[in-house]
Amino acid sequence: MIELLGLMLQDAFWSAIAALGFALLFNVPRRALPYCVLAGAVGHSTRLLLIDGFQANIVPATLAAATLVGFIAKYCARHLQIPSMIFAVCGAIPMVPGVFAFQTMLGILQIIWLPVDVAADMLVIAAINAIKTGLLLGALAAGIVAPTLLFERQQPVV
Amino acid sequence: MSIIEKTPLPATDTIPPATVDGMPHKPPMEREALRDVISLSLWAGQMLLQNGADTARVEETVHRLGTGLGCDWLDIIVLPDSITATTTNNLEFRTRVRRAPVRGVNMDIIAQVSDLSYRVQTGTLDRFILRSELRRIDKLPKNYNRWLVVFGVGTSCAAFARLFGGDASVMAIVLVASSAAMFVRQELHHHAFNPLIITIATAFVAGVIAASSALFGGKVAIAQAAAVLLLVPGVPLINAAEDLIRGHVVTGLARGFNGLLIALAIAMGLGLAIWLTGGQGL
Repeated sequence: MIELLGLMLQDAFWSAIAALGFALLFNVPRRALPYCVLAGAVGHSTRLLLIDGFQANIVPATLAAATLVGFIAKYCARHLQIPSMIFAVCGAIPMVPGVFAFQTMLGILQIIWLPVDVAADMLVIAAINAIKTGLLLGALAAGIVAPTLLFERQQPVV
Repeated sequence: MSIIEKTPLPATDTIPPATVDGMPHKPPMEREALRDVISLSLWAGQMLLQNGADTARVEETVHRLGTGLGCDWLDIIVLPDSITATTTNNLEFRTRVRRAPVRGVNMDIIAQVSDLSYRVQTGTLDRFILRSELRRIDKLPKNYNRWLVVFGVGTSCAAFARLFGGDASVMAIVLVASSAAMFVRQELHHHAFNPLIITIATAFVAGVIAASSALFGGKVAIAQAAAVLLLVPGVPLINAAEDLIRGHVVTGLARGFNGLLIALAIAMGLGLAIWLTGGQGL
C-alpha cells in the first residue's frame, strides 16, 4: 500500500514536469500554469493507481482519469475565468498515447524491408497498436468532455 | 403572435413581426455596423481556429460575439481551415468567408478571445473597443521566452523517459536530444517549412542524438521513444476525438487525419535515425 503511494507520488512528480513543458509550449496564460501542471500530475498518477492498484485495463483507467481531469478543469475554469479546455488539454497531454501512435507508423514503415511472413506479423502488431491508439484517444477525449456532456446540456445555439 | 403584442418594436414598416424562431427582433442596424459585426466575429473565430480551439468553441464564440454586438442570429459553418458566417438583423443580412489555416497551439489567445466574447455578451464592450482588443491580441508576444520553451520541452521529454523506465543517463541524453530537436523545430518553423518536413527533420535530429545513449549503457529504444514525444500532435488528436464525440464529423476527421500524417512523419524521421545508427527498431 505504502509502496503504491510512493510510486504514485513519483509518477505525479514526473508527469507534472511533463505537463509543465507542454504547457510552456502551448503558451498557456501565466496564472493558469500551476493548475495545468496539477491537472497533469493528478491525471497520470490516478491512471497509475487504477492500473497498478486495481488491475484495471489501460483504456478504462484512462477514461476514468481523464474524467477526473475534466472535472478539475471545470473547477479551475470557474475559479480563474479561463476556458476549461486549457486545463483539460494540458492535463491530458501526459496520457496521450504518443508511443503507440508512432509505433504503429514505424511498424507499417518496416513492412517494406521485411520478408513476407515477418511483415505479416508486423502488420498485425501495427494494427493492434493502431487500435490501442484510437481507443486511448477516444477515452481521453470522452473523459475530458464528460462534464460538459453531462452537466452543461443545452439546446444547440448555432 | 403573442410575442408581437408583448414586445413593442420600433415603428418602421420594414421590420417584419418576428424572426423564424419566434424571438423578437433586436433594434435595426446600419449596413455598415452589420459589416463590422461579421468581420469582427469572424476575425475572433479565425484566431480561435488557428490556435487550437475545438469546433464547438469556435461556433459558440462567434455566435456569442455576433449576437452580443446586436445581430438577431448568426449561421456559422466551421470547416477545418475556414469559417463562413451569415449575420442577420431584421431584413438585412451579410455573409462572409474567412480562411483560417492552422498555425499551431496558443492557449493564451484562446483564453483572451473567449474572455472578450463574454464581455461583449454582457454589453461592457462595443465593436470599436473589440476591434482594438482583437488587434492587440493578434500582436501579443509569447508568454514564455523561446529558450525557456526549449529547456521546458527537453525536461518534459526527459520526464517521459523516466516514466517509461529510463535511468539517469537516458534522461540526460533525452534532455539534450529533445532540447536540440525543439530548437531545430523552431528554426525550421521560422523559415516557413512545410509542417510535415519540419516533423521529419525534428524527429530525425531527436532520434540520432538519443541513439548515443547506447554509449552510456542506456536503453536506446526508451531514449528514442521519449525524445520524439515533443512532436506528438496531442492537441489536434484530442480535438479530433472531441469534435467527433460532439457531432462535428468533418472537422473531427480532418484533424484526425492531420494527426495521423504527423505521426507518420515522426515515424519516418525516427525510422531514418534508427536505420542510420544501426538500431533494432523500437
